[in-house]
Order: sequence, then C-alpha cells, then structure tokens
Amino acid sequence: MSKLEVKNLHVAVVDEDKGQEKEILKGVNLTMNTGEIHAIMGPNGTGKSTLSQAIMGNPAYKVTEGDVLLNGKSILELPVDERARAGLFLAMQYPAEIAGVTNVEFMRAAINARRADDDQIPVLEFMKFLDKNLATLDMTDDMVERYLNEGFSGGEKKRNEILQLMMIQPKFAILDEIDSGLDIDALKVVSKGVNAMRGPEFGSLIITHYQRLLNYIVPDTVHVMMDGRIVESGGPELAEKLEAEGYAGVRDDLGIDVKLTDEI
Amino acid sequence: METQAEIDFQSAVSAFSAARNEPDWLQKLRLTMLAKYPELALPKFDKIQYQRWPLTDAHEPAVQASDATALAALDLDYADAKNVLVTFGETVVTTRLDPELAAQGVIFTDIFTAVRDYPELVEKYFMTTAIKPDANRLTAFHAAFLNGGAFLYVPKNVVVKEPIQGYYIQDSTRKQDFIQHVLVVADTNSQVTYAENYATVGTEANLANVVVEVIAADDAHVHFSAVDQFSPATTGYLSRQGNLANDAQLDWAVGMMNDGNVVVDFNTDLVGKGAHAEVKVVAVTTGKQLQGIDTRVTNYGQHTIGHILQHGVILETSSLIFNGVGHIVKGARGSDSQQESRVLMLSTHARGDANPILLIDENDVTAGHAASVGRVDQEQMYYLMSRGIDKKRAERLVIRGFLGNVLTEIPAKRVRDQLTATIERKLENGQKSE
Ligand SMILES: Nc1ncnc2c1ncn2[C@@H]1O[C@H](COP(=O)(O)OP(=O)(O)O)[C@@H](O)[C@H]1O
Ligand SMILES: [Mg+2]
Repeated sequence: MSKLEVKNLHVAVVDEDKGQEKEILKGVNLTMNTGEIHAIMGPNGTGKSTLSQAIMGNPAYKVTEGDVLLNGKSILELPVDERARAGLFLAMQYPAEIAGVTNVEFMRAAINARRADDDQIPVLEFMKFLDKNLATLDMTDDMVERYLNEGFSGGEKKRNEILQLMMIQPKFAILDEIDSGLDIDALKVVSKGVNAMRGPEFGSLIITHYQRLLNYIVPDTVHVMMDGRIVESGGPELAEKLEAEGYAGVRDDLGIDVKLTDEI
Repeated sequence: METQAEIDFQSAVSAFSAARNEPDWLQKLRLTMLAKYPELALPKFDKIQYQRWPLTDAHEPAVQASDATALAALDLDYADAKNVLVTFGETVVTTRLDPELAAQGVIFTDIFTAVRDYPELVEKYFMTTAIKPDANRLTAFHAAFLNGGAFLYVPKNVVVKEPIQGYYIQDSTRKQDFIQHVLVVADTNSQVTYAENYATVGTEANLANVVVEVIAADDAHVHFSAVDQFSPATTGYLSRQGNLANDAQLDWAVGMMNDGNVVVDFNTDLVGKGAHAEVKVVAVTTGKQLQGIDTRVTNYGQHTIGHILQHGVILETSSLIFNGVGHIVKGARGSDSQQESRVLMLSTHARGDANPILLIDENDVTAGHAASVGRVDQEQMYYLMSRGIDKKRAERLVIRGFLGNVLTEIPAKRVRDQLTATIERKLENGQKSE
C-alpha cells in the first residue's frame, strides 16, 4: 500500500499581468491511500487544477508553505519526472500537443523510463499491452500512430490521457476534469478505463466540476474545495448534495464568505 | 612538411591528372583554375563569417590509396543495397549497379572512371550548367584539386525505382584534402532517387571541398537526400547546385550533421518553365562549431515553384546560421517562392540566426517567408516529463519532432533511420556538457 499526503499546502502563482505573486491554495489537507478513489469538487477558479499541478511538480506553481509526501517522504524537492517515476500521474485538463513525436513512441519512452537500460520493454509485449488498452477505450490503431495530441479533438485528448494512464500504471493518478467536453458515450468509455485500474495498488484523485462522472466512477470519499481550501469531506452522498443544492447552497450552509466566479 | 609556397603545384596537378589518365579538357581545366583561383573572390553569404578558414590550404596532390578496413569504425550499412558506390579517400571500395539499370544505360560510377569511360558525357555537364568553375575562389580551387566523387547518369525516359546510394568517406587518418565532385544528370523525363552520405575517419585536421551538381532535364524528377557528417577537425565548403529545365522537379532533403566548421552553399536555379524545387534542410550544431547554411532558390522560368524549409537545433556554444534566399527574376510570371527557417536554441551560449531574404523583381508572383529563433517549449517539456521521461530525453523527443518534417521527406528508410540515429548521437553529445 502507498500513501499520498498533502499537508497544509499553500501555493502561489505569478500573475503575468500584474507581475506579482497571488496565493491560490491557502492550506489544503488531504490524505489518500492506494485502493481508494477520492473526488474533489468545486466551483471554477477555486484552485483544483492548481492543487493537481502542485502535487505533480509544475514549476509554474510555487509552494510557499506545507508539504506533499509520498509514503512519508517529502517530494517537493523532486522534479516532475522523478515524481512521475515515483508513482504519480496527472491526466491534465489541457494536455500539450507535440508535433513530430508519435503517440506510440512517446508511450514506449514513458514505460522505458521506468525500466533499466538493459531491460527495455520488448516491442511485442508493448504492442500486446497497447492493443488491450486500446480495445478497452474503444480507440483505433491510427490514434497511436498520430503525433502526440496534435489535432486531437477535446474528447480524443481525454481518451489519450486515460490510455497513457493505463499504459504507465502509476500508483496515484490525478484526473483533472477528465469529463469536461465528453459526451455520455465517451464518458462511459473513459470511466471504464479508470475502473479497470481500480485495485489495492492504485489510488485516484478525481477532480470534477460535475457530479455526473461520479455516477460512473464511484468514489470512496468526496471533498469540496472553495477558495483554495477543502471545506467539507464526506461519502458519495456529498456529491449528490452538491448536485441538488449547487455550490452556492453548500457555501451558504457552511457560512463561508467567498464569491463564486460563476455567480452573476 | 613543405609549405604551400615551396610546392610546385603546377607540376603536381599535371602529374596527378596524368596518373589518373584524364582527358585533355580536364587537365586543361585544372591548370587554368589553378592559376586563377587565388585571384577570384570568396563567395559571400550574408552573416556567415568564414573568410579566415583554411579552405584553400592545399596539400600536394598525389594518387594515394586508403586502407578500407578503417571504414569499420563507421558501421556503414550498405550490404544489401543494390546500387551503391563507396569511396574512402581516393580509393573506390565498392561499386554496384543493378545490371538491369546498366542495360538501360544508367551510369553510376566514381568520377575518375566516368571521365575515362564517358568523356563526352562528363565534359558536357561537368561545371558547365549548374555551376561554373570560375564562379568563385572555392569552385576554382575545387576544379584544380578535385580528387574524388561520382557520376550518375539516368537516360531519357528511364525510371529508376531502387534508390542509388553514395558513401563518400574522408580519410583523415593522415593529412589529405578531400575534394569531391558528384555530378547527377537526369535526362528528359527520367526519374531517380539518389542518397549520399559524407563522413570522416580519423582525427587529422583537413579541408573538405564538396561540389554536387544536379541537372534535371525537361520533365525529369530527382529526389536527392544527403547526410553530411564531417568530423570536428574538418573545415568544409559544401556546395550543392541544382539546375532545372522545363517542368523538372528536384526534391532536396539534406541533414547537416557535421561536427566541424562548414559553410554551405546550397543553390537551385529554376530555369525552365514550370520547374519545381522543394528544399528541406535539417541541422544540428554542437560544440564550438559554426554551420553557416545559405540556401537559395532562384525562379528564372515562368510558373516555377521554389520552397525552402529549414529547421535547426543549436547546442553548447555553437552557431547556426540559416539564410533563406528566394529570388524571383523579372519575367518569371506566375512563380511562387516560399520559405520557412526555424532555429531552436538549447543553450544560452549558442548563437542562432534565421535570416529570410526575398528578392522579388516580378509583380505577378506569390511569395512568403517565416523565420524564428526560439527555445524549447516549456509546456511540452513539462508534459513529457510528467510521464517520467527525463529532461534530456524529453528534449531530444521535442527536437526530433521539430526536425521531423524533414526526416519524413527522406524516401530511403535506411538513410532516414541513419539520419535519425545521427541526430540522436549529436544531441546526446551536445547535451553532455549541459
Ligand atoms: N499558471 C497560472 N498563472 C496565473 N494564474 C493562474 C495560473 N493557474 C491558475 N491561476 C489562477 O488561479 C486560480 C485557480 O485556478 P485553477 O487552479 O485553474 O482553478 P480550477 O481548476 O479550480 O478551476 C484562478 O484564479 C486562476 O486564474
Ligand atoms: Mg481546472
């Protein structure tokens, strides 16, 4: 079993326009183990993506206080590639496009980065594993021969993130709005992929704006995030409450004083 | 060693020519150019400073053999190539041409055999059409001291399906000039794919002077690819010249993977109506070297098309200059000149230049250019690294993607794979110091 802990995490970004630091996360606490699925829900602009990027180690996000620990060891000093090899994975809300690098060579490089130079994955074994995962995700072979995310539709990019997740088999996967822009069929396919990963050696933190995804990937724990903090945690029923009352309702119940960006 | 002033070049060049049984016209041309070259000006290329390089410090010419076993160091892979010529220094190691092609009149042989066996054909095209021997000091020097190369001739209406390959290896196990001439003539309505490789064995400091002429007659189609990888100790003048008649097409794909200083004179003349050239260049520059690449296409004929695409990567303290010159002369109505030059800098000490030059003397044309000098995209790097790929490998992936649009243009898989491997090697070397 592995454990991922976020302790009193404060994160700032540099506002390009004003040229000054802006605090986005204001003390996030979260503990999860492999075998568990956690969901984070929250209004837009609340810091959900910031949390995922800070855990993964995006250099644009500066940790000003607190810690992130994997199996009791701080990972804040590790660059992103080392965090990835230590077992973290982030399905990004906006994956980069890279012309000239095929999807398949990229995935092989990612897998081989976790193996010794004299123990690189045999081509046949890789292709078999790839075919199996492609089938689960209803993806065609030509998707993997295309350049990485280049010209992919929004839905194709999301599927491709899940394909990478299934190929790489991390310990912890953070899925940042993997449901946005997906129709119901695509949502089911993506959920099937994530559910196939479920097991005692896999944990996932699912970030979403909508409760809908959680009908397909049922979480063990749901957290509500507002204004850079986790303000409430509970079981799957919390997601339903949010769906019924809206973020404003939950905010008012809790008596929190924040303005939601979606409010007019 | 004798200094240049002490050598009687006149007699040495005559003796060399005689030893090679050269026809009179070539011997005469050599001696004329020998007398003339010191007076001629060096070719000028915008922003490329190479005037002090030792490009005309000739050694005494002499016919000398090279030991082909030394080629093992290069791991050349031509065992199953049907049409191939391999030379090492002045020594011809292998000549192979599919007998069916030979029966159709295709000629592919080393330049000295060619001038002896096909004197009229070589005389007709050798530095007469694509470039003149007295064009500048370096072409004249070339004509005087020529000591290797090849001749490829494809007769009228002949379509060569299998690629023709040349490996021209410089012998730098000793002091010896490498002065190579490759003459490619595609006669009317013929088609051919030709690929050439240059490399160095040995560590001596030597000069390389390479002139390649590609002459495409009416309706001919030539696909030409090249990978140049001269050693750090080689200083080179690398000139490739194309001349296209009516409706001819020439596709160039060239990888500049040299490790030493080179000045590259890459020129295509679209002479005939409807001629079309696609020029694709990739370059990787490392160490302290300078690769100065001047790529020019001139539209003389009406309705001609000239496209230049150059992508390069600079590491360490090296410099890479891409000039892209598109020139449409008056009268070349309906012509098109497009170019794109992009340079990616991996080090803050590197120097890069992408320099577009459009010279348009005719109104009824289309023309455009794009140029940029930039750094590796940090979002792309983050994305790749977030999957566990380390920084250097991620950089190499992004770069390979960036250079990919030229790589994919190379038709022979063997050459393509070899260029990919060469890029990888050069990048790995360049990254070591970072
Ligand atoms: N790279 C960044 N540079 C500047 N501001 C950012 C950056 N990333 C996020 N922000 C700001 O931080 C706040 C939280 O954003 P984000 O974490 O994307 O929220 P969420 O994912 O919950 O919608 C927003 O106000 C957003 O504009
Ligand atoms: Mg977000």
